[in-house]
Amino acid sequence: MNLNWLDAFLISGLFFVMMIIGLALLLHLQLGLAKIANFGVVGFWGIGMYAFGVLYVKFDWPFADPWAFLVSVLFGTVVAGLAGLLVGWIIADLDTDGVLVGTLGFATVVAILATTEQDLTGGALGMGGLRFPYDVGSVKGNEALWLLVLTAVVALILYYVHRVHRVPYGRLLIGLGDNEPLARSLGKATFRTKLWLFVLSSAGMGLLGSLFAVKERFLAPEHIGIDITIAAMVGLVLGGTTRVWGAVVGVFLAVGLFDIVVQSYLPLPREWYTQGIPVFREMVFGAVLVAVLLFRPSGVLGDMRRDKLMRRLHGE
Amino acid sequence: MNFIGDALVIGLTEHAPLVLAAMGFFLIYRLTGLINVAYSETVTLGAYFGMWLNTSFGYDFYTVLVPAGLMAGLLSVGTYFVVFRPAKRRDVGVLELIIISLGLSVFLRHALQFAFGYPVRYFDVPPPTTIDVLGVGVGSFRLLAFGIVIVLALSLYWFIQRTRLGLQIRALASDEDLAEVSGVRPLLVTVLIWFLAGVAGGMAGAFYGVASSVAPLLGWRQFLLILLVVLVGGARSIGGVIVTGLVTGVALAGMSLQLGQVLYAQLILIVAFIAILKVRGNQFADTVKV
Repeated sequence: MNLNWLDAFLISGLFFVMMIIGLALLLHLQLGLAKIANFGVVGFWGIGMYAFGVLYVKFDWPFADPWAFLVSVLFGTVVAGLAGLLVGWIIADLDTDGVLVGTLGFATVVAILATTEQDLTGGALGMGGLRFPYDVGSVKGNEALWLLVLTAVVALILYYVHRVHRVPYGRLLIGLGDNEPLARSLGKATFRTKLWLFVLSSAGMGLLGSLFAVKERFLAPEHIGIDITIAAMVGLVLGGTTRVWGAVVGVFLAVGLFDIVVQSYLPLPREWYTQGIPVFREMVFGAVLVAVLLFRPSGVLGDMRRDKLMRRLHGE
Repeated sequence: MNFIGDALVIGLTEHAPLVLAAMGFFLIYRLTGLINVAYSETVTLGAYFGMWLNTSFGYDFYTVLVPAGLMAGLLSVGTYFVVFRPAKRRDVGVLELIIISLGLSVFLRHALQFAFGYPVRYFDVPPPTTIDVLGVGVGSFRLLAFGIVIVLALSLYWFIQRTRLGLQIRALASDEDLAEVSGVRPLLVTVLIWFLAGVAGGMAGAFYGVASSVAPLLGWRQFLLILLVVLVGGARSIGGVIVTGLVTGVALAGMSLQLGQVLYAQLILIVAFIAILKVRGNQFADTVKV
């Protein structure tokens, strides 16, 4: 297959945008619906990435690659889900301040363990040895195919989020975010709901982390910095925290602008790309968070759209 | 005995700025109810201001300490007027306020690199003379930091608990309407809170900076620890923050000595603090929110 039209930067940019869309969609369930601000997105993503990578590379696999690979991905997902169970249990009955400490603390703990456990993770130097579970003949072909795999996973997440908005479970999450004591007094198991929400969305983040590790083919602690959390949060807030498509629109506007348009299409001096643009990008992201929440808290897409029944009840 | 002495001396001198930084953060948190993530950049910029005055004009460290603190205080007041006051007027929720302060923190952390340059910077100071304390060699800056931190911490404590303005600050914190009726001027007192917090953070940053290096992540690296100290220790009063900060410093130093790895000490501390929060619950969350 001829892939000359596809720039390597473009593949990387699209891959990153897709992955952040996935994270922002999962964050939307937590932050947009249940109003639980997860400031440790990168922790769940990172623990999935490392659990996958370490098992895949260090374990002496008795069977051949596609299966070893799939089991490792499953392992990364499950470990992230269990981490979600633990963190969810810790923060489920704490207020917003406690949630900030719990999630931020968890992300820091993951970063510390990635650095200290050198036998497993390679420490600060990082760990190589990851590869695509297939080979179609060229590096570019492999990466393009992997981009398709990621896109399929993100599309599934989008479909799931779309469904959540239309089933009783989604209304429970919204009720939990709006008024937790009320939801509880109506007989809803709010604690268990929060736990499940965290288990599922964290497992999804871990899965995305595993997929990213394969593309990067290298694990290092500098991958799991706060910038991943910021990127997902900026995209979600910009697009609209309460809307299904908010994450998609916002991430394309924010991350897409820098990682696709600026990286691939703008004729800027080469030396800007090493330091100036990444720093400028984060600066703009910070400013966007402040400006959107001050001037248009509902984001580009605006307020939540309810389903037909709810719209009739609310008299729209 | 030797181990305890080492841990005490190293912990108290090396982590003394933590106490100061936590007190500043506590002022804003306890008295306005806001978790200000951008406070970490007040700390960072205190270090940068000090380094800038020190390297550009050749003043020594002791001279730049006060102006650096004052500049950080003004910056802190500036963030209040540009971001947090408009946010309060728009009735932004608690959760959104934390995200706003996170955004401001990210913005400042990267904007300062365009003003001060990307590379790590250093204070231009003569190497500190080492003084022997209980058999441990301590650099003179660290010893001074400990002394100044204790003096500042006690005077801040005295100011909040014993003076008339301190009384107004506490009155505003517990009931804004009642305080206003009683003749407290909210704007003046709130500005004072932000200024004092900024001065404390800026000076803490200068001490952090002179002890190692001045980098954009300087304040952010300390932020989680500051947050934990304030949430766990600040449930009752500013005295609790001081004690918890000192104990944290000693515990960090002691565990680093035992385990031979600073990161493990931090890890244990984070887990322990979160466990305390989980068991105790975050009690003072809704006692005071201005």
